[in-house]
Amino acid sequence: MFIILADDDEDDRQFFKDAFNEIKIKTMVHVVNDGAALMNYLTKENSQLPHLLFLDLNMPLKNGMECLKEIKSIERLKDISIAIYSTSASEEDIEETFVKGANVYIKKPDDFITLKKILSKVISVNLQYHTSGLDRDNFLLSI
Amino acid sequence: MEIKEVFTTSFFLKSIFVAALFGLIFISGVTYKHTVDLEGSSNLVVRSYKVQIGLEQIISLLKDAEAGRRGFILTRDSSFLFPFFNAKEKIFASFSELKELTFENLKQQVYFDTLFNLVYARFTVMARSLEENNLYPLNASQFNNSMVLAQDEMTLIRWQIDRMIRLESSYLEEQQHRYEQELNFTPFINLLLLFFTLVVFIFSYYKINKDLENQKKVNEELIISNESIKHAEEIGDFSTWQWDLENSKFTFSENQYRLLGCELNAFEPTIENFLEFVHPNDRSYMINVGDQVIAKKKPSTIFFRVLLKENRLRYFKLIGKRLTDIQGKKIIIGITMDITEQKLSSSILEERNRQLELSNKELASFNHIASHDLQEPLRKIQTFISRITEKEMANMSPAGKEYFSKIQTSAKRMRVLIDDLLAFSRMNKIEKVFEDTDLNVLLDNARQELAQAIEEHKALISSDPLPVLSVIPFQIQQLFTNLISNSLKYSKPGVVPIIKIQCEKAAFNLNSNTHPDTHHRYYKISFIDNGLGFDQKYAENIFLLFYRLHQDSEYPGTGIGLSICKKIVENHYGFISASSKVNEGATFNILLPE
Amino acid sequence: MKLYFKYDRMVACNTLVGEQLNKLGLSYELVGPVEVEIKDPVTEDKLKELNTALNRYGIEIVENQKSVLVQKIKDTITEVVYSDGELPVSKISAYLADKLKYNYGYLSNLFSDVTYTSIENFTILQKIERAKQLITTDDLTFTEIAWRLNYSSVAHFSTQFKNATGLTPSAFQRIISKRQNTLPPDK
Repeated sequence: MFIILADDDEDDRQFFKDAFNEIKIKTMVHVVNDGAALMNYLTKENSQLPHLLFLDLNMPLKNGMECLKEIKSIERLKDISIAIYSTSASEEDIEETFVKGANVYIKKPDDFITLKKILSKVISVNLQYHTSGLDRDNFLLSI
Repeated sequence: MEIKEVFTTSFFLKSIFVAALFGLIFISGVTYKHTVDLEGSSNLVVRSYKVQIGLEQIISLLKDAEAGRRGFILTRDSSFLFPFFNAKEKIFASFSELKELTFENLKQQVYFDTLFNLVYARFTVMARSLEENNLYPLNASQFNNSMVLAQDEMTLIRWQIDRMIRLESSYLEEQQHRYEQELNFTPFINLLLLFFTLVVFIFSYYKINKDLENQKKVNEELIISNESIKHAEEIGDFSTWQWDLENSKFTFSENQYRLLGCELNAFEPTIENFLEFVHPNDRSYMINVGDQVIAKKKPSTIFFRVLLKENRLRYFKLIGKRLTDIQGKKIIIGITMDITEQKLSSSILEERNRQLELSNKELASFNHIASHDLQEPLRKIQTFISRITEKEMANMSPAGKEYFSKIQTSAKRMRVLIDDLLAFSRMNKIEKVFEDTDLNVLLDNARQELAQAIEEHKALISSDPLPVLSVIPFQIQQLFTNLISNSLKYSKPGVVPIIKIQCEKAAFNLNSNTHPDTHHRYYKISFIDNGLGFDQKYAENIFLLFYRLHQDSEYPGTGIGLSICKKIVENHYGFISASSKVNEGATFNILLPE
Repeated sequence: MKLYFKYDRMVACNTLVGEQLNKLGLSYELVGPVEVEIKDPVTEDKLKELNTALNRYGIEIVENQKSVLVQKIKDTITEVVYSDGELPVSKISAYLADKLKYNYGYLSNLFSDVTYTSIENFTILQKIERAKQLITTDDLTFTEIAWRLNYSSVAHFSTQFKNATGLTPSAFQRIISKRQNTLPPDK
């Protein structure tokens, strides 16, 4: 599984990478520091598209929602599974991000073990969507 | 009312007056006729009696003539012939007179002719007898015969005359009878008409009197009213004006001059002069609106500025309305008000409001951001702690483990507090949209949210049908979720929690500690559970921020749930209250306006 | 205009596979729902070519026995879930063991090794997927959906739905319908 994470916080990026290293499923993780860098990468011709994209909402330059909107509007990118990764938000806001096209909403957890569990679950569910012919339009997961 | 109105219209009065006049004229006519008739009647009587007397006179003269004849025959005294000839003359004079008098009565005329014949015959006989007597000496039998003849003829004449008298009598009676009827009738009519006319005059008098009084009263009131208007204008800083469209005349009230800082009647009341005072930038606008008011019938309001002497700026408000007055003239009436004070104070108020709003927004924003931004470092602390405990637990001393454990507990507590503050700060209603929502759907959603907890407690939840209200959907859903969640949390251990949700209309707010509102009708939604309940004396405190009734160890929580409920209910201009007895469950009453 | 359609995956897949095989000039016979017997001998390259061609349609040639079995487990579970209550779902474990003629413990371990997820989880996933499908395409109430998918109550269904997806069924429904109203038509 090829995974991209966009997060401007260094510690969070580290947590992420560490967590993925400790999960059973084989993954390749690529991190970018902000939205602009992300879009640059994705829009490059022939760039390898991730199976799953984790987007932090609060990033400078281009925040998560803007990236989400942009990705959904580009033909080549709109089928990427997107997981919004953020500090807590209200139910309304979470529903809003789903409406805007996100597949997964993750509330950043308070401890590492939970993080591993969450990521594990997200990956495995995403895998099922890829391998078992499930309808990706219905892929909604809120953790 | 309508009939009375008809009675008071001037047209009706005029026509009644004319009718009365005609009545009078008619009365005069009738009276004149009456008088004429009376005269006629008495003339008739006179004439009739003249006839009768005349006729009697004829008889008497005839008798005189006869007596004379007889005397002469008896005495051959020629002095007896005098009455005879005298009578003859007089009789025939009478005849023509009487005939003339009775020329109307045809029957009588015939009778006269008959009489005339008889009398003439008599006289002829008498004359002949006298002649005969002159020549011969008196013949006793001839004399007896002529006496008898004379007697018979006289009787005939007498009868004829009686007949004539009777006829004349009855004729008179007849005529009199006719007159009588008329004459009887006339006074009655007269009286009636008189009565009617009298009534009309009295009525008119009364009406005119009343009108005059009214007019006086109205005039007095008008004077008083005018005085008070003048005072009102002075106190209220406004003036009234009138613009006669047809002859383009303006009328200002006295205060208008004062408002414009001038002496009374300092200038001619014309539009041009007025516009002189108006701020140059506002003039064309005023003229436009003026045209509009002339065209439309609706009143128009305009605000404009006025420059008084020494360039003092005042703010004016003008309201004008087109009317058609009682006499059918098109006029515009209006008032001009000096609103400078109000404008200034409302500007100050606006400014203060703006600042307050800004301040509120800042505070809300601050609250939100603070809670939000506090989360990040806290989360990091917790995550790193968890990594340490995961990786280094084995290497730590028991004291170290204990310390870390305490750190984790505190961090968790802080986390919960910040979460709650964040949840609370989100319950502002700025920029939140009220939508008509079916509350039953929201209740359903809340039950779905808590499906697991409900299942675990095996709770039974029943509810009355809830109405559709204009609300912020997410907030009401949160309210329901919080209340049900509370009931589940504080349910009696070992007892199946039963939560009843009831709904009814309420007339107004019955709680003592809140004020009645402009909304008069509410829906009262009650959440009744059979849980642990609480002492009623805390019923108000539990809605305070962070107020707790139990130890954290018994029932974890921050005590913010109910304050959030209260904030949500207040956002919707409603009220919330609680009532309970320890161990007998609790009831939460929410009042939401219709 | 918007078009909605349902499709029979089996038929679609088989048709595609058939077309590709025909293109490569291979004669074949459909042996099972996902099983094809190719009559002619096939070279490694041809196999690769076939696989590549089929990959475009999301179809993969399953390499080994284990994968085959796992696929069979998946298909069985899918079949049961999509039967809408026609087939008994009470004891999936027993049903699987019985149908596939393997011990359930073995099946369970194999499944986890290959897919990194348990049979239970997969079953739940499929049920929830079916539920999502029913929610978005049919006009059924949640109660009806719960019955169809053999949940003991609508509350139980809601609970599992929320546990699996993090959203309540009504929230899910709300989001999907809002999405359909706001996203551009070509999505």
